[in-house]
Formats: sequence, structure tokens, C-alpha cells
Amino acid sequence: MVDPVSANRVGYRLVFLGLAAAVFFLRILPLSTEPVGWPGPDVLLCLALAWVLRRPEFVPAAAVVAVFLIEDMLLMRPPGLWTLLALLATEFLRDRAVVLRDIPFLVEWLLVAALVAAMLLVNRSILALAMVPQAGLGLSLAQYVSTVLAYPVVVLLSHSVLGLRKVAPGEVDELGHRI
Amino acid sequence: MARDRNDEIDFQAPVRRVLIVLVALLLFALFLLWRIDSPRVERFRTALVDTVVPSFEWALVPVTKVVDMVEGFQSYARIYEQNQELRRELQQMKAWKEAAVQLEQQNAKLLAQNKLRLDPKLTSVSGVVLADSGSPFRQSVLLNVGRRDGVVDGWATTDGLGLVGRIAGVGETTSRVILLTDSSSRIPVTVQPSGQRGMLAGDNTAAPPLEFVEAPDEVRPGDRVVSSGDGGVFPAGLLVGQVAQGPDRRLRVILAADYSRLDYLRVLRSRPAERITEGVGLVGAATAEPAEAEAEAEPGAETAGDG
Repeated sequence: MVDPVSANRVGYRLVFLGLAAAVFFLRILPLSTEPVGWPGPDVLLCLALAWVLRRPEFVPAAAVVAVFLIEDMLLMRPPGLWTLLALLATEFLRDRAVVLRDIPFLVEWLLVAALVAAMLLVNRSILALAMVPQAGLGLSLAQYVSTVLAYPVVVLLSHSVLGLRKVAPGEVDELGHRI
Repeated sequence: MARDRNDEIDFQAPVRRVLIVLVALLLFALFLLWRIDSPRVERFRTALVDTVVPSFEWALVPVTKVVDMVEGFQSYARIYEQNQELRRELQQMKAWKEAAVQLEQQNAKLLAQNKLRLDPKLTSVSGVVLADSGSPFRQSVLLNVGRRDGVVDGWATTDGLGLVGRIAGVGETTSRVILLTDSSSRIPVTVQPSGQRGMLAGDNTAAPPLEFVEAPDEVRPGDRVVSSGDGGVFPAGLLVGQVAQGPDRRLRVILAADYSRLDYLRVLRSRPAERITEGVGLVGAATAEPAEAEAEAEPGAETAGDG
């Protein structure tokens, strides 16, 4: 017999991987091969951050590494670097999950915006140090803005469609343990 | 039971931390490896793309087609204007067709008189666009032809009318085309009719700028831009687009290929130009043999031309 708690957890982990695959699939569809003026958000990053802030146990570090490394490889990015930054960012949030559980959404949004900005900055500085040619700063900033704007939408959809919500204070799981 | 659980957590936390640090170091090492030995990692990446993306082909192609159809359906709304526009264009095209037919006849006549051999190296292999780069910073598409079809790095790709890009990265069944709009794309071009040489340098915009033109004054908006063939691998004379001047007075090129719908691309097989290295071999008995072979081949070519 399957333990309902771990079944739920495994289910959500699979949903996360499935969502990542779907996002990736939609992005590589050759619908428009023209250069875009305003790049879309990095939905995968929003998803990972939002889920880690809500239920860290649904997004294990292994899943983060796997998903971002595959994305690095398939989207022709320098492999490893963005994965490393995503791993560090999610671990940073995961370590503070108990504290961050109680903050209002606006603060959470600001925190995520600052975190993504830091990731972007570190990414660009390391690429510059390694003398890797990079896309223009304007394009990166535009993507940053869309990513930050998309974050509340991703949170809202995760909440309303997938039922992903923060653990309420004193909430217990099905076996009676404090989460 | 609750105590057991807590013990377990206390034991796991440091191990987990060590593992995370290890993985982080590995990822950074991967990045450094890519930076130091890029070709090897890129080969691995090509192989990975080659195995992953074609397995999505069953879904990628229909979904793309459906979305295209929906877009096409929306355009029915202005079908009347489109019809009028097409009629006007058709009229113009008829005039061009007439001119082309006359030129073709003239050309055939001249060729027959000269026994001219056209360059046979431009044969092509066509492929379907499977996927695009997925990233706003990279302009590339993935084709479903690869090494098994004889595709080689560096070959030119067109959409039938204009140059689209060059092959960079060949897997067994797929190959990646870096589009002219990608920021790493540099193509030597000639502007006609002035004959000025320049570089078409992609910069992630729809109309890439024309750089290193010797006398920009001689280049006018509306001039034709074709590939120049400098550098060897790229065939010369492929249509690239038209010169236009942006609001910043930079010369840009409006690409002839229809970048909004790249669904089938043609990869031009080109061989690097043969080098003549042996000076002695050109004079003497060795030259007689090719001449004979040519004479044998000619009757066939003539009958083909007549028919």
C-alpha cells in the first residue's frame, strides 16, 4: 500500500517535471523565427522559485539541477553556469523556507526580484570574466522585467490550478507530523 | 516515532549540504570545461539535441502546423484586401515572368554557343524545421537532416529565395542552422551594383547591419545584397536581401528570406574550392585525359540541352 503523504509528494514532483517539460516544449516550437523585440519571461525560473518558496520538498535539488542543465544544453547556453546559479538561488530560499513562510506576498515578490537580479548580474560578470560573447544588456534587462512581472501569474496559477499553497502555521501532514 | 524522524533529519542535513556543494562545484567545472574545450562539449550538446528533439517530432510538427492554421484562419478576416493585393502582385509577376523567359532563352542560346560548363557544385538537400533555439538571445533553428544526409558544418542554407543562415553543429539526424540574425553570425557579402564588399553582422534584430563597407557613400538603400564567397566555404552570389538605412543612418539589410515562416529549408552542398598545388602537372600529358573525358561527356549534355 502506498503511503498517502509520499504519494502526494511524488505526484507534485512529477507535476513539476511535467511542467518543466511542457514549458520547454512550448519554447522550442518553431512558431516565430524572427528576432523578438521584447523577450518573454523565464517561466522555468519563476516556477522553480515559486515552488521552492511554497513547498521546498516538492522541488528537490536534483530536479532543479536536472531541469536547468537540460535547458542549458538544449537552449545553447553555456552549460552549467545558469544551472549553478539556479541551484544556489533555490538552496538560498530552501534554507530560509521556515522564515519566509510568513512573509506577505509583496515582500516575497521583491525578494524574488532581487534574487533574479543577483543571478543575472553574477551570470553576466562570470561570462564577461570568461570572455564569452553575450547578448546585449538591453535584451537581458527586458527579459528580467518580464520574468519579474510573470512571477505573480505563475504563483497564482500554481495556487489556483495545482492547489500549491504555503504551509499554514501549525499545519500537520496526514500522519500528524508538523511540516 | 517523532524522535526517529528528527534524528534522521539531523543526520541528513550535513550530508545533503556536502552533496549540494559537490554538485555546485561539478556544475562550475562543467562551465570551465566548456570554456576551455568548447568543441568537445558542443559535440556532446549536438549529440544530446540529436537524441532528444527528434523524439518530440511527432508533437512538434503537428502543433506548429495547427498554430499556423489558426493564424491563417485569422487572416481570412482581411481576405478581400489580400485578394486585391495578390492580383496586383500577380500582374507584376507576369511581366517579370515574361522577362525571365526571354532571358532564359537567350541564356540557353549563349550557353550552347559557348559550350560553357556551369558550376555543378550547388546541389541541395532539403529539411523540415523541427525546433527553434527557444531562447530570445539565440537565433537558430534545428533541421531534420544531419550527417546521414551528408550535411557538413559551414554549408549555406536558403529558404528557396534568400539566404537564411549557415550550418553550425551537425548531429546524426539533425543539424543546427545559425540564422543571419544571430549575434554570432558574420557573412561576407557584396552589394550590387556598386560591388562594395562588406560583412553582414547579426545583432538579434530583424534587419542585421552591414559593416566594414569600404565606401558607404556608394551603397544606396534598395541595392541588392548577395553573398560574396570570400572565405571559401560559402558559395558566392546567393541573394541575401536589400539595403535599407535605419533611423540611426546605419546601413542595414532587409533579408529576402521570409523569417516569419521558416518551415522548409534547403541546405546547399558546397565543396571548398579546389586548390591547384602542382604547377608541373598542369602542363604536359596529364591534361590530355580530362579533355577527352570532356569530349565524351559533351554529346549527352547537348541532347539534354536540346530536349
